[in-house]
Formats: sequence, C-alpha cells, structure tokens
Amino acid sequence: MKFLNATALSVLLATSALTTDLHAQELTMAVSAQSAGQLDPHVSTRTEDKIVFGMVFNGLVRFAPGSMSGEDIEPDLAESWETSEDGLVWTFHLRQGVQFHGGYGEMTAADVVYSLTRAADPDRSGVSSDYTQFASVEALDDYTVQITLAEGIPSLLGVVANYHGGNIVSARAAEEMGENFHTNPIGTGPFAFDELAEGQFVRLVANPDYFRGAPEIDSITIRYISSASARDLAFQTGELDMIAGTREDRWVTNMTETGEAVVDVFEPGELRTLHINAAMPPFDDIRVRQAVAHAVNREELVAFMGASVARANEAPVPDGYLGHNADVTFLAYDPERARELLAEAGYPDGITVPVAITERASLFAPMQVLQAQLAAAGINVELEVMEHSAWHAAIRDDVSSMVLYGAARFPVADTYLTQFYHSDSIVNTPTAVTNFSHCDVADDQIVQARSEADMDMQMALWADAQQAIVDEVCSIPLFELLQVFARSPDVDLGYELEGSLSLGPVITEQSTLAD
Amino acid sequence: MTATVTTPPQRTPAQRLLRLARRNKLSTVGLILFGLIALAAIAAPLLSSHDPLAQNILHRLEDRSADYLLGTDVYGRDTWARILFGLRVSLLIGLISTALAMIIGSALGILAGYRGGWVDSLIMRIMDMLLAFPTLITGLFIVAVLGANFWNIVLAITVTILPKFARVARAPTIALKEREFVEAARALGYSDVRIMAVHIAPNVLGEVIVLASLWAAYAIRIEAYLSFIGLGIAPPTPTLGTMIREGFEHILDSPFVSIYPGFAVLLVVLSLNLIGDGLRDAIDPKLRD
Repeated sequence: MKFLNATALSVLLATSALTTDLHAQELTMAVSAQSAGQLDPHVSTRTEDKIVFGMVFNGLVRFAPGSMSGEDIEPDLAESWETSEDGLVWTFHLRQGVQFHGGYGEMTAADVVYSLTRAADPDRSGVSSDYTQFASVEALDDYTVQITLAEGIPSLLGVVANYHGGNIVSARAAEEMGENFHTNPIGTGPFAFDELAEGQFVRLVANPDYFRGAPEIDSITIRYISSASARDLAFQTGELDMIAGTREDRWVTNMTETGEAVVDVFEPGELRTLHINAAMPPFDDIRVRQAVAHAVNREELVAFMGASVARANEAPVPDGYLGHNADVTFLAYDPERARELLAEAGYPDGITVPVAITERASLFAPMQVLQAQLAAAGINVELEVMEHSAWHAAIRDDVSSMVLYGAARFPVADTYLTQFYHSDSIVNTPTAVTNFSHCDVADDQIVQARSEADMDMQMALWADAQQAIVDEVCSIPLFELLQVFARSPDVDLGYELEGSLSLGPVITEQSTLAD
Repeated sequence: MTATVTTPPQRTPAQRLLRLARRNKLSTVGLILFGLIALAAIAAPLLSSHDPLAQNILHRLEDRSADYLLGTDVYGRDTWARILFGLRVSLLIGLISTALAMIIGSALGILAGYRGGWVDSLIMRIMDMLLAFPTLITGLFIVAVLGANFWNIVLAITVTILPKFARVARAPTIALKEREFVEAARALGYSDVRIMAVHIAPNVLGEVIVLASLWAAYAIRIEAYLSFIGLGIAPPTPTLGTMIREGFEHILDSPFVSIYPGFAVLLVVLSLNLIGDGLRDAIDPKLRD
C-alpha cells in the first residue's frame, strides 16, 4: 500500500506542476530530554511530554493556542456548557462526530467520563490531586456530561482543559492497551501518535479527520537531544526546524543575531524555588532557615540566567497566576545577618548540608550559583548529582535537606499552594505531592480560599497564605524562568505565541512550514 | 648490533631504570614536563591569585585577560586557577589509583604465579572476568552504584586496571620460581611470603613500573571520562574532566572554557606516555642496544 502511494505520488509529481502542494511537510523539532517519559497525559508531568499531549489530545475546553490565560478558555471537545447557581454542578455538551485516532471510533460522553475518572484515580493518575473535589462524573446521554463537585474549586474549566488530567483519552484504547497506552496514546488532536523510538524520537502524523480541519503539516518528529550544543548545531545546519533553547541571555542574543532563527520567549515563567526541609536538622530551627533566606542573592541569580529570560520573584506563587501576592514581605539579601543568625542558632562555624540535585542544567547551574552564595554565608552545600528521574524519586523520598525545584502549574494560586505547601502534600506520605519543606502553616487559608465564593476574600486568603509561608521560611522563591524556543523563519505557528501550558510551541492544524 | 658481550656493572633495578631512561631524550622531556605539571599542581595557591571556587557572575565566560589568565567559566570562575586546582584532584586520583592497582595487582599476580594450582586459577579467572568488561564499563558500573566521590572513583579506576598488573606480574613469577636463587631461598627455609616479597617482587618491579607509568595516563583519562559524563566528583570541586564538561555546553560560543582544561589533560597524558615509552624501551631487552 505504501509502495502504491509512493508510486502514485511520484507519477503525480512528474506530471503535475503542483509540486509544492504535494511536497510532504515534515517538521522536525528537538526538545531537551534524553527520552520520552510516558506519553499518557494522566501519568506523566514531565516537561518534554507536555508538548506531545498538546498536539495529540483535546480537553473539554482549551486555552486558545498561544495563550495560557484563564480568560482565553474556549470550547474544545465541548461546544457549550452551563453551571448551577452554586457552581457545583457543571453540564458539558459535546461536539458530535469527533473521531479518535487509529479507528477507535467516535468520542462520546463515555470517553469523557472514563478519562476524568481515570485522571482522578490516584492509582492510575499522577495528577489526581487536582480532582479531589470531584464527587461524580456522569454521562447524561452520548453527548452530555455532568460533573458534580463536593466543594467549589477555583477553576473547574482549568481542570477540564487540555492540560494533563483534562485531556480526553479513548476509553476503549486505554482499556485494551492497559500499561501499553503510554507508548501508544490515542486521542482526538490534530496529530496522531505514530512511532516512538526510545531515547531517540517520537513521531506524530497529521490526523486528516481532525474536527477543526486537516493539519497543513503532515508529520512532526520530536527528537530527544539533551545536549544544548548538539541541538544548536543540528538547528544551524538545517536538520531541525525548531529547538528548545537555552534559557540564557547570550543564547537568545546569539541565536537572534544569526538572522536565521525566530526566538520565542514566552510564558509561563517556571518558578525556581529553594524548598527547605524543616523536618531535617539543622533546618528545624527557623533561624537557620532565615539565614539561608538572607544568604540568597536573587539579583545575581537573575543576572546569571539573563534578564531577557528570567525575573526575580519573592512570593511562593508565580507572577501572572491568579492570586499571586506581589507585596509579600521577605528577608532581603544580607550575608552578614545570615552569619549572625547561624551563630545565634548555635552554629558559629557554619553548617554543612547534603543536597540532591539533578544533572539537568536548568536546575544544576543555578544550584551551583546558590552553592557559592550560601558558602559565602557559612552554609556549605554538598551536592549529590543525580540522573534526572533518579533525582525526582530521591526528593520524593524526603532525603534531601534542600530541594531546588522548578515548576509551572495551572495558573491559579490554589494549585501551587496546595501541591507545594499544604500539609497533605508532604512528601513520603500517602497523600504526597510535592511539599518538600514539610510546610503546614497555611493549610487553613489554602482550604478556605479554594471554595471561597467572594473573589476579594479569596485573594486576601491567598495573599495571607503566601505571607505565612514566607514568614515561616518554608521555601525561598527565587526567580522565574520563561520558556525559550527557536524556530526557523519557515515555520509559521499560525497563532501569536505568548504563553503555552504545554511548555512549547504546539503545532496546530493551522501551522505551516514553508519550503 | 655488535657481537661483543660486556658484563654490565652491578646496579640496583632503580638505578638501572633511571640510567636507561636518561638515555632516551623523549622520555626526559616527558619527565621534565610531568615534573613541572606536578609542581604547578602542588604550588597551585601560589601560582594563582584567584579562588578556584569564587564565582563572579558578571564576568562569566570572558576570554583571556590580564586578570583572568585563561578567561572565566560559565560561573565567572578563573579557568587558570581551576586548572591548577583541578590538576591536583585529577593527578591524585590518577596516581593513587594506579599505585593501588599496581600494589594489589602485582601482589595478586605474584601470588597466583608462585602458588599455582587452584589459587592461580581462582585469582586469574577473577581477573579474566574483570577483563571481560570493556575498561570503561567496569568503572562506570562501580561509580553508578556506589555514587561519585573521590574514593569511589579511585576504587573504580583501581578495579578497572588492576587485572593488567596481575597478568604482567604473574608471567615472570612462574619463570622466576624455578630459578636457582629462589630454590636456594626455599632450601634455606624462608617463608613463602618472604620469598615473594624479597626475592621475586624486585625482579618483577621493572615491568610493573613501566606498566604503571602507562596506565597512570590512562587512569587520568578515565577520571576525565567519568567526570565528562557526569559521574565525577561533585561540584564545585574542579577536576579537569568536570571543567571540560561544564564548558561543553558553551562550546559553540566560548570554546576556550573546554579547550584549556582539555589541553591540560593532553599535556599530562602525553608526559606520562613519554615516560612510559622510555621506560619500556629501557627495560625491553629486545630493544636494548
């Protein structure tokens, strides 16, 4: 069959002038990773997988391409929806005739119920904490889904959008394939999964039946190249059309100066936070934690990363998230004071602490800057460098006294506060998420704010929570790092790229590749 | 080749080695070069005004200047100072592990050769097992399992090159144990340990030392390999391999950050190889004039 197609194509090519139209549009991009994680949107939260989810799956609603603002949420698999007075019952009316990839049939309410239930199930999902307030998800008929909440949540549309748990998978495919689903994901998006070469690339092909229309680009190959210089070289030789950039000023400048690349710097800013494990001596003493806070020089960190891609942030919730507290009072850079505090706490000669860190440059490099800053104040950090996924496992085992972590979440204060600072999320507990600091001082505010109907009151509670976390020095928010990609001028995304929760320039059905 | 046979004057093996090495011009160059490098590493604090760990973010990735002799790395640290201090670590790791491998490996080899029988089989089969792995893989395995720190890296390199010493020490031992002086020693009632240590070991020493000088270069390269792939000593401690790795991320726009420490590795390995070649020529009877 392939042969026949090829023959037919070559005959056409030879006899027709429409060569440009027939030329297969193959886009190749490279991201910074050694291999794909698990290509199941409910399981993997790894950066390099998100861009795949963004192209293979749809949610009930979606963030308009190029935006990550809650105001730009628009219909996706659901054409319309309504909500009850108290905001607890949501009814979604599905688009009809949407087909899953690979002949898995029409997408119906049963798939939506299956997907959301699966996303909420801690045994099958890595993002189940977003769905704890889901009381039930029911199919009223083939094209109507009703979600009932136990309690109000800050943004229901956010958790049914095309972001992690909100992605709708084929119930039949997921059941039939079981464990294998993550190497053969079936969705409804503009591109369908085609092939995964472990440690090399994943290939997606255009879904001609996509409900918004067939994509202009025929196939997308996402290669995994963890070395930045290898990516840059391959891009400069024209082997790649698009690459994940290095988040540094000099890289952005150099790449722009070549004149053969468009550099996209876009939201979200991934907040880099130094979480301090208060359960581990000597950090059980707040004075030692305050000393760390005084020893950290944010300006230098921002200078290191580069002002065009980084900005300082002192609040536990990233800038641009609903509920971010811009006026938080924090401990300023003052290494002298840090030494005094250490002496007061009984460590006049300073302290030495072991810290686990990933080998990945985006965290490893700033950690080394921090190491030098802390050393200047008498806090000696002994780094234990680990492979990225080994490090992820280690920090969740509660073995590191400090954890430098970078993350972008759904842009509402609640997700960040719950996952990083609510006592239920403390690592190494049954309900663990990513509370590395054992912080428990803002539980009340976080819970109250979640279902608070009055917007001002909610904002005040979130501001309160952030101040409490900063006062307790659960963590030291450092700086935000924007997303950086470079693409050939031939690639037209088809939309304005200001932000992407997929952490990359998602290729849509409207994106084009000039010859 | 002359047919005349002269009786060589009696010299200790060490004297003989030195004399022969002196005759070889290239290995003299190697010896001087290595001496200078070792001196530079020892005198590191005197030769550089910068702290190898002090970061200066505003001066990152600068090229050579009067202040920074070899420029700065990605964190604004002085490359010259880091190379000097990195040499210390790299040389220490290379030399300690080679010395350990030499001592343990030769001891095992002599024991195997002298005792023969099942002792020989046991030791040499274990050595064969170690040799069956490609050299870098054994080291990788040990460091990956035990974690990367100074002594684990020393251990990894020691285990990697130890079998080579065992083999080289075993063969001459088998020949030597049949010689008259060994039989004489045995007849005098000396213990096996004494015979192996006092009568056999000195006669094996020559070849083992040649091997050591060559494998020392290799050991330093293994350290650089391991560091380069991220299994080296934890930062901020500089080692030559770590420095090359750190600079590699910026190889396109600031290649010097990698090139200088790379050049340092080259010099160290070259000097050791020159010494080793000279020693081998000196010891190998086939090449002797």
